[in-house]
Amino acid sequence: MSATTAGATWRVVIAEDDPDIRALVSIAVKRAGLDLVAEAVDGGAAFEAVARLHPDLAVLDVSMPTMTGLEVCRAVRADPTLDTVRLILLSAGVDDHAKALGLAAGADEYYIKPFSPKALAARLTDLMEDSK
Amino acid sequence: MTTSVRAYARAMKRLSVDAPVIKQLPTFIAFTAALFLSLGFRSALVTNLFSLTLATVVMLGATVLAAHYSRLSRPSRWFLLVPGISMLAIALLRYATGGTTSLFASLIILPVVWISAQPGRRWVGVAVLGASAALLLPYLIDLRWPDTPSEWLRGVFTPVVYGLAAVVVNELSRQGRRQVRAVRRLALEGEKLLAESLKVAGQLQENEVQLRAADRLTRSVLDGVTEQSVIGSDLTGLIDVWNPGAREMLGLTSREVQGRRYVSEFHLPEELDERSRELNYPPGATVLNPGFSALVESARLGRAEVRDWTYVRHDGARLTVSVAVTPRVDDNGETIGYIFVGTDVTHALEVARLKDEFVGLISHELRTPLSSILGYLELMRDDDESPLSVEQLQYLGVAERNAHRLLRLVGDLLFTAQVSSGKFPLTISQVMLGETISAAVLSATPGAVAAGVELITELPADELMVRGDAVRLGQACDNLISNAIKFTPRGGRVTVSLEHRGGEAVVVIRDTGIGIPESELDQLYARFFRASTATRNAVPGVGLGLTITKAIVTAHGGELDVESEEGVGTAFIMALPLPQVAVAS
Repeated sequence: MSATTAGATWRVVIAEDDPDIRALVSIAVKRAGLDLVAEAVDGGAAFEAVARLHPDLAVLDVSMPTMTGLEVCRAVRADPTLDTVRLILLSAGVDDHAKALGLAAGADEYYIKPFSPKALAARLTDLMEDSK
Repeated sequence: MTTSVRAYARAMKRLSVDAPVIKQLPTFIAFTAALFLSLGFRSALVTNLFSLTLATVVMLGATVLAAHYSRLSRPSRWFLLVPGISMLAIALLRYATGGTTSLFASLIILPVVWISAQPGRRWVGVAVLGASAALLLPYLIDLRWPDTPSEWLRGVFTPVVYGLAAVVVNELSRQGRRQVRAVRRLALEGEKLLAESLKVAGQLQENEVQLRAADRLTRSVLDGVTEQSVIGSDLTGLIDVWNPGAREMLGLTSREVQGRRYVSEFHLPEELDERSRELNYPPGATVLNPGFSALVESARLGRAEVRDWTYVRHDGARLTVSVAVTPRVDDNGETIGYIFVGTDVTHALEVARLKDEFVGLISHELRTPLSSILGYLELMRDDDESPLSVEQLQYLGVAERNAHRLLRLVGDLLFTAQVSSGKFPLTISQVMLGETISAAVLSATPGAVAAGVELITELPADELMVRGDAVRLGQACDNLISNAIKFTPRGGRVTVSLEHRGGEAVVVIRDTGIGIPESELDQLYARFFRASTATRNAVPGVGLGLTITKAIVTAHGGELDVESEEGVGTAFIMALPLPQVAVAS
């Protein structure tokens, strides 16, 4: 993608129905130096934003109204024009089964809440650096 | 019927007793008639009044004697004195009424008949001799021999004629007695047979009563089972038992089902087919009715089997039913059919599903706010632009510690819910136990230092490897070590050791703490149980740690034991099976 090859920062869509956590994720994204292009409050809006904006990364909550994070992942992976979008799932589910389901739905990474904003920011920075 | 037979038999017995007074009666009547006749024509007939009086007295005596013998309960041979004495009385009568010319000599025949009717030929002789003596009495009294041939004839020949008659009577009565004996024997046999058949009839009746009682018991037990379906079938699956529980569950009465429907008709064909495939039945014709065979496979092999099946009600509704299938056997132990006892678990499954859903929801709803709390606390701590004071950082630490405690509690709750519903995921790998213990001890060290408890680790030189879930085993070690520290007063000691014992890796966490009362040891692993020593000493906790630890150890095929003495200390012993080939150095 031109956005990354040009040395410009990643464009990121985040989706989370809980406003406080959404704010926490957006802080982590900003601290990692990424470009937050859209914040969605439900799964439907998240997919719509991803499909419209073609971001480099989407950070999605698993449990959301209208579409779950898993459904958004599947929908994105079903669309060939979106195959460069990296997907990160954030979940309050704890067991390994939930993680396996998330990865099977097409997510690249799966994090369990509660997450450390600092650690998430560091991980996002790493991801972006690695892809260059 | 029996009473009349018995009365008859009794009457037969009495006939043989032959009351002497009855036998005496004809002699007595004849004698009395002769007496009245003599008195009526005294001038013409009576020649000796004294003899007549004597005869009367003797006859009365004989009759009284007869009456006496009749009253005896056991017959006596001596009753034959009665006809003997009667002969004497008749002889005296004859003497009183003209002696050899008396009209009444023929009366002698009556006692003769009586005596000669006795069993045994000798009595004929006795009778003849007696009669002879009686008829010859006048000559004995007068002390002279008979003069004329006619007198000889009357005195000697007449008794001989009587004797012949007596022989006939004796023979007739012998035959009569034989017949009576035969009849009596037959009657006795008849009575015995009757008694026996009555006894058998009684036993049959008793058996029938017992059978009916057993049948009633079975029926009432079957009818009493209203929440479970009890269905019985023959070897082909044709239904012959259908209790009220089955009627309730499947919507058909026993009349509509018994002998008309097959068990497999109430099952989903797809399920039966699938089970047939699982059991590797050859496809098609080789197994008769493969669906039903699949249903009773275990029972056919003599095992009871409990398995969830879908029952299809008469109205098409479907139920999930836990069905226990057992064989029915006959007296020889041959299987003659099957019994299907079904419990409707549709509701229970729904409740379990709702519970899982609820636990998941609660867990999610609790973790989301905790995520916010912990995330923002971290942001506050890491705010480089306006750093917090040392005091503020300390307050923040307390808030963080408690938020983490809450988070652990939520995790534990979710975990115990998973354990109790049997959904307990383990990620199996090779786990180095020494390393796991070291990590647990390391993370427990700050707490031990703060509590003033010495924490000692004793590890073997060689690492011990087990197959298991590294995270869960670490959690088990964490729980046991943090418990030990929590329950040990300041200045105490906690020792964590690992050793290879038999085919097992044994982890022992021993403390010098407050101990657990012996009476509470068996409740230790119950959810939310807290030892009285724990509550008394105000040691914080909710009572989930040991429940979880025990579940983890059990899921790894291991065992968790405890030894404790109040006031002395507690040791938890966690034994985990080692793989067959030991991994060492």
